[in-house]
Amino acid sequence: MRHLDASAMSELAARDPQAVAWFREHLASPCEACETFLATHTDPLDGRTDALLLALAPARKAEEEGATVVPLRTATRSRRFAPPPARYWGWMAGALAASVLMVVLVPLVKGPARRDTGWTGEKGPGRITLELAVVARGTDGGLRRLDSGADVASDEVLLLRYHATESGTALLYQQRGHQPPELLGRFPLDAGTHDLEGLDGLAGVSLESDEGHLSLALVAFAPGEPASEQDALAALEADGSPDARPGTVVRFDVRVQSGQTLAP
Amino acid sequence: MAETDDVTDAVRRATQGESSAFSELYRLTRPLVARLVAGFGTLSPDEAEDVLQESYVRAFRGLPQLKSPGAFTPWLLTIARNRARTRLERRSLLQRMEEERVDPTPETVPALPPTLQVERDIEVVRQLIAELPEGEEKKTVQLFYIEGQLSAREIAEQLGVGKSTVTMRLERFRGRIKRELLQRVLAGRWD
Repeated sequence: MRHLDASAMSELAARDPQAVAWFREHLASPCEACETFLATHTDPLDGRTDALLLALAPARKAEEEGATVVPLRTATRSRRFAPPPARYWGWMAGALAASVLMVVLVPLVKGPARRDTGWTGEKGPGRITLELAVVARGTDGGLRRLDSGADVASDEVLLLRYHATESGTALLYQQRGHQPPELLGRFPLDAGTHDLEGLDGLAGVSLESDEGHLSLALVAFAPGEPASEQDALAALEADGSPDARPGTVVRFDVRVQSGQTLAP
Repeated sequence: MAETDDVTDAVRRATQGESSAFSELYRLTRPLVARLVAGFGTLSPDEAEDVLQESYVRAFRGLPQLKSPGAFTPWLLTIARNRARTRLERRSLLQRMEEERVDPTPETVPALPPTLQVERDIEVVRQLIAELPEGEEKKTVQLFYIEGQLSAREIAEQLGVGKSTVTMRLERFRGRIKRELLQRVLAGRWD
């Protein structure tokens, strides 16, 4: 008696008439050997089987899973995006409605100086002028506005908000010390003041497992500008003398301390 | 489970480069993928989350190769299962990293059959579960696949057995279902 194995599966995949005939009959009744093989063997039936089995239970809504972050890149254990609590939005909306940007936003503005840059690459609107505000959310849900260079606790989450003079695209990077920048995500930018929000509603950067100096850099590109990762890295590299490169870079530095949420 | 129109539509839009479609796909399919990964009781919650994220990264990267939007969900689930297995295998010193499972190419994962057929198949699976002899295995399968609330780890705790035992029970049952489906494919009742 023949049971399923790798060679039998190959024959079946090739629609070998003898193999098909045999296994069509053989698999019509339970066979522990074949079932054991199928349980551990990877083949195109896996997805179908799982889809079928997982359809047995009542459907869950994605919201119940607490998932708002689309993983477009492999996440590192030490850095996770974390959605802010609902009250953050209210807090932020209220703060901004009443705010003067000069108070709420903590800019390291690189943009305006580049309005007259010599970059003459892609056509399109001028460079984006960009400002960045960062708020730390503690484990208790408390929020505190940060100045660049501020101390933050590793159990806090950084929430980002930007002001852009026009719409475009931005790439968010993190950089620890002298290590190379690491891309955290790509975001559409709208003109005006908005939370940094991508495809995924992403709004926060977890500091879990971090310690020491950490720099967040937002690299913005106007619609006509090339906006690849390579362009963003080039813009970051040219941060000190940006005229030759497209892209507007805004940085925000924090010093992560291990331990619990710092007092406001 | 038949591929829903929403998923199919989101796949089409995503392949055309519409960025919001990725978010939509993630929202629509994450519960299923999370349930699948939750069946691997020996994965820690952190590992399970990593597997889930890695699966989407790979699926989204491979999306341009997907010829049939209706095949997205089974393909994604296959990737997730492979990722979970790879993660578990990496723990073993005997397993070399180079032996990592390769993601399935989309063409090898055909679309699901029409809804009516799927409903019939679901009934068959329910019947198979009902016919299982009363005992721990049946209970495990019911808790995980029918009730769909507990992870394999939680079921292990509830039943007072090892996490790997629960995973093995689920795998064994899955093997049975795969046998049924393969037989149907060979009998020309599905493809």
